Amino acid sequence: MKTTVSDELKMLEEMAGDFAAKELLEDREENDKYPFGPLFEGVLTKAHDVGFFSIMLPEEMGGAADAVNAVCLVLDEVCRADASLGGIIFTNARAQEMVARAGEVEVLKKIAANAAGYAGLLIAFPSFNNPGEIENVAMVERSKDKYILSGDIEYVVLGGIADSALLPAKVKGEEGYSLFLVNLKGDGLDIGEPVLSLGLHSCPAVDMSLSDVEGKLVGQEGKGGDYFEAAVDRLSVAAAAMAAGVIKGSFVEALDYTKERVQGGREIVNWSEVRMLLSSMAVKGKVADILVDRASRSVDCGEPGWQLDSRAAALHVQEMAADATTDGIQLLGGNGYMKDYGQEKRFRDAKQIQALMGLTPMRKLKYIKRIVDGELPW
Amino acid sequence: MFMDSEPRFEDITCGLESTARAPGAMITETREAIALARRFNEAVVRPYALELDRHMQEDPNYLPWDFVKEANRWGLYTLFIPKIFGGKGVNLPALSYFLEELASACTAMSNLVGVHYLGVATLTASWNIRLMNRLMRDTAEGERTGNPCLISLAITEPGAGTDVEDVELVSRAKVSCQAEKVDGGYVVNGSKIFISNGHLSTWHALICYEDLERPHETTVMLAVKTGDKGFSFGRQENKMGQKGCPASELIFEDCFVPDENVCFDRYYIERFTRASRKNKRSVEDYTMQVIDYVLSASRAGVAAFGAGVARGAYEEALEFAQETEVEGKLLINHEWAQCLLAEMYTNVSLSRLSYSETNYANGLYGMFKVLQWKPFFYYLKYVPSSIIDRFIAPLLDMDFVTWLFRKLYFDWQKDEEYQRTSGWASLAKFTSTDYGVRNSQLALEMMGRAGMRHDGRAEKHLRDSKLLQIYEGTNQLNRQNLFKCLIGRTIPAARMFEE
Amino acid sequence: MFDRILQSTLMEKDPKFEDIMCSLLSVGKMPRGLIKEAEEGMALGRRFNEAVVRPYSLELDRKMQEDPTYLPWDLVEEINRWGFYTGWIPKLFGGKGWSFSAMSPFIEEVASECLGIANLLGVQYFGLSFLFVSWNTRLIDMICREVIEGERTGKPCLISGAITEPDAGTDVEEVELLSKARVKCYAEKVKGGYVVNGNKIFISNGHLSTWHMLIAYDDLERPEESMIMLAVKNGIKGFSFGRMEKKMGQKGCPASELVFEDCFIPDEYVCISRDDVKDVRRGIKEANMQLIDFVVSMTRPGVGAMGTGVARGAYREALEFAQETEVEGKLLINHEWAQCMLAEMYKNVALARLSYMECGYVNALHGMTKMMNVKPVYYYNKYLPTSVFDKFMPASNKRESTTKLFRKLIMDGQTEEEACRASGWASLSKFAATDFGIRNCHLAIELMGQAGIRHDHRVEKFLRDSKLLQIYEGTNQLNRLNLFKCLIGPSIPEAEVFND
Repeated sequence: MKTTVSDELKMLEEMAGDFAAKELLEDREENDKYPFGPLFEGVLTKAHDVGFFSIMLPEEMGGAADAVNAVCLVLDEVCRADASLGGIIFTNARAQEMVARAGEVEVLKKIAANAAGYAGLLIAFPSFNNPGEIENVAMVERSKDKYILSGDIEYVVLGGIADSALLPAKVKGEEGYSLFLVNLKGDGLDIGEPVLSLGLHSCPAVDMSLSDVEGKLVGQEGKGGDYFEAAVDRLSVAAAAMAAGVIKGSFVEALDYTKERVQGGREIVNWSEVRMLLSSMAVKGKVADILVDRASRSVDCGEPGWQLDSRAAALHVQEMAADATTDGIQLLGGNGYMKDYGQEKRFRDAKQIQALMGLTPMRKLKYIKRIVDGELPW
Repeated sequence: MFMDSEPRFEDITCGLESTARAPGAMITETREAIALARRFNEAVVRPYALELDRHMQEDPNYLPWDFVKEANRWGLYTLFIPKIFGGKGVNLPALSYFLEELASACTAMSNLVGVHYLGVATLTASWNIRLMNRLMRDTAEGERTGNPCLISLAITEPGAGTDVEDVELVSRAKVSCQAEKVDGGYVVNGSKIFISNGHLSTWHALICYEDLERPHETTVMLAVKTGDKGFSFGRQENKMGQKGCPASELIFEDCFVPDENVCFDRYYIERFTRASRKNKRSVEDYTMQVIDYVLSASRAGVAAFGAGVARGAYEEALEFAQETEVEGKLLINHEWAQCLLAEMYTNVSLSRLSYSETNYANGLYGMFKVLQWKPFFYYLKYVPSSIIDRFIAPLLDMDFVTWLFRKLYFDWQKDEEYQRTSGWASLAKFTSTDYGVRNSQLALEMMGRAGMRHDGRAEKHLRDSKLLQIYEGTNQLNRQNLFKCLIGRTIPAARMFEE
Repeated sequence: MFDRILQSTLMEKDPKFEDIMCSLLSVGKMPRGLIKEAEEGMALGRRFNEAVVRPYSLELDRKMQEDPTYLPWDLVEEINRWGFYTGWIPKLFGGKGWSFSAMSPFIEEVASECLGIANLLGVQYFGLSFLFVSWNTRLIDMICREVIEGERTGKPCLISGAITEPDAGTDVEEVELLSKARVKCYAEKVKGGYVVNGNKIFISNGHLSTWHMLIAYDDLERPEESMIMLAVKNGIKGFSFGRMEKKMGQKGCPASELVFEDCFIPDEYVCISRDDVKDVRRGIKEANMQLIDFVVSMTRPGVGAMGTGVARGAYREALEFAQETEVEGKLLINHEWAQCMLAEMYKNVALARLSYMECGYVNALHGMTKMMNVKPVYYYNKYLPTSVFDKFMPASNKRESTTKLFRKLIMDGQTEEEACRASGWASLSKFAATDFGIRNCHLAIELMGQAGIRHDHRVEKFLRDSKLLQIYEGTNQLNRLNLFKCLIGPSIPEAEVFND
């Protein structure tokens, strides 16, 4: 995205691009081996130092003005090289945003002030699930003025890395759920091994069991769903930015390869069907670029209908990414399928990105429900 | 007169013609083969598939010998080898249904079994009966002794992937695996990559070239054995999926292959063409015919993998939908989910119909045709192996027999016939594998986070399915082959691979 | 190979062998004559195309654009002259008794040139299928012989199937939906017959037909149990034609409104009513679903054949264009991307065809007419001349006992599983093939650019024609749900369809 909005954002974009090229590209295959190889802690530390995990925080804590636009720029650049880091940035941003939507900015400030390294700043969260759709929540009991959580929560992203987590829990028999901040280093937590998954390997999720764990209520009781959806409104476009980055990375690698590889007596970029596939990818990348740029600015400016802008961008760009990365492998032939090249990882990552924030078909239904209920479609 | 125009009746009614002509006992055999596959899935594949994939993620150099030995113990490597070659002789179309069944549980394991038959098909396409008999009986022996003897096909090279799958492309290809004619045999130098089952196979049907400047006219097929001097294994690829099935590098350094292990070469074809009076075809044409025989059979197998993985993904989604409530209602009772599942079901059905039709075509016009001629079929089915081994098998050493089969399969196959089998095989291949990927994607969309987990089985299907669109000819090449065989053949102005 | 009991347990799991292997299971069972007949059906279609369809289809479409109320009587008379309106009437009822397995390939052929004309022809059998599932042999015999007479005299006697209503389209195809439907066509039981009030819309061939198989309801509160089929003839007091729709495509085949105002139908023209299904094994609602399923199991593959045809027509036009047109100085057909696109289109046709052919096998093994393919019956029917049938059948057809016998045999002789298989596969073929049909039309127009949007190049008409295929005979969405209901849901106790 060539942003013309502000110098601050331009610098951020350039910095993110450099970061991706320097820190993420070379060891991409190694970094993707987790959990069968080490976690890329060095990268995480550097990412923390340049502020990637603080973008959504209040400005006085290191956050950006035009935060959504900023996080989208960073995610686009980062995900061209390695979407796992993007997944971490996104999940953390989601959690921070939900806390903000709940009106608990002070809590964020405290976390940011006390954080020594990335683990202290990051907040784990089950970012692939929508508790309103499929219940994946703990049970909570009120005991005097404390909240005690028990139960199993699956797939808590960053649960094995961060010091704290934002977890949904409900009171038995009551409608709706609430959000709680939990100290992951405390007692009563049984945190599982990283769940081996399709993609975003270095953005790991764990299953966890809670047994009488104290949690701090975030916002009001029963309003967890509202904060969740409000954060999805704001940050759907960020998921779109991730997908856009993956498309772009896939295209560039495919283009470079097809210019080199010779079959049928010529560089394969000179076969028209190959060009047809490349064209389709390039157009997708361009459309994604325009879409994310426009939607992210719409969110920051609060344009009328910004929520639908954000959500539509996610739905469409994620789908384009799934298709584009399939072609991205195809253009490299047998090599495209091998881990020595970056395409197969992008294919897996793109599909995983599509699963963020809940079931895709349900997100489509939610989208049209808002219009059926009266929101203007454009 | 009307039936001269496209589409030709024979092109589109292989199924119909077969149902009226093929031996009825094929039905029972097919049913039994599928039941066997299901039993194998239940006992071996399903319990072990995730573990193997996970193990491979930890250690990409692991070789699943215990699986291969287990499959060997179950007799899977001789199940579809004809009785005259020492196998159990289950009819070849049933192989596709068998592979679909295995692939619905694990594509990698289906490959571990299926690729052996790819090797068998490659040998068969040379119609060197004596050599075929010897090597296939080695497999049977391997079953008896418990030391698996697998056969694989070695054709892909670092500089030639798509290029080796079509003779026109081979003529411009930058191949490097050279077979130099010497006294008593050939000396081979070069390497092959992405060879499925390479490290696990005993025999390798190696395609190489005498004259690297004219590869399409000097193709040689050799049978090389693991352990031969000058032949070694190189790296094992680190694949995204189908991890359990190794993609191996084969290295040849002054590797001597004796004449008795030459499946075919141009000298043999030249002798053969001189002997036949109607000398219509060139060496290049015969070479293409050999490759087409292989591909017509193998691509049906890959289509079966495609149908299998499409089905596996559908089954995972179906199970998830039955057990999971979304917004308080079982997912399977959401109308949109029912429509999506119906779509996935249809994708599987269409895939299966396409590879079935290919098998019918192969049975009428291609590699399987002799075996499905009713008298031959029933004779082989009911005469005990011991009698066949004692009285029929020795005949296979005779030059005459090889000559007869080559006449039958090379000269007596019309252009139209091999275009039909080759075109249909390509159609089935790209159709089913595209559906395999598609269903995997749809399943993941339906399952969300649960689909992302390794232990949910669904994401593995996606990773496994993608390779199917690439090997055995990319789906782009297969579309072009369909064009060549079934569309362009009546259009004089049509040219392939030009630009 | 190994123990039978274990095998049968394994084979009970989905997918069941019988569900997926109908073509294989037909191996050895199907009479070889079927091959020749399929070929003859195709050849006949091609002859008809060359002589009548191709020369006339564009003109007819153009004429309809100018005058939407035009009725193509000359074409109907031509089709009648070729004998197509009696071709597939069984010899049992005086027809030529052509094999049903030849019908779909024939329809595909005609559809590859013009869907409107294929419809003009095919809807005859749509209407007849309604009549046949009633197994009222007396009425079947009477009406069929009128059709045959119409061929002899040159005055075509067409039959329509009148089921769709203004407020009930999708709803009439499924008893679950019917129970909540707002149907209005009321048949009030009176002495000696029924009085019908209401109207039907979108009835293909309505204005051109002589007989109309009317589906009405004698209790509008419980339509799923009160379905009644009446044979209504033109000219009967209280029955008239209303509007003719202005369709986007398939213009040559009128979609008519039928208006009933106190229309009295005597008892002798009741094909089947709820009294008639009392004796069968299933309950009334289920029996009605079985009747609907009988019809759609036969007609939906026909629509599948039509989808295949238009997919093929679009492919053919695109191929021809590519052979003749240079793009950037080279024949389009030699551009690699165009070759891939054409291969994709070819594949779409092949898959569409495989789907309806498989339905043929399913119906042959499990459908309403399965006994026709049993070898002795088949050959008997094939070789015995119609004149011999005519000596005995009319008298026997008139008997009430014949009707009762057939009904019991046919309805009880089909298990739930068989009904599901036939209906599910018919739906599969319908939506898959018609989706391929419209897809190929899109691809063809993409390939042909400016030429593709011209009327005289045919493909834009194909696109307009093909869209309707996704809608009638049950929308493709309904057909997906039916597939789910028939082929996926039965082994899942918790699954419920039409209960969103």
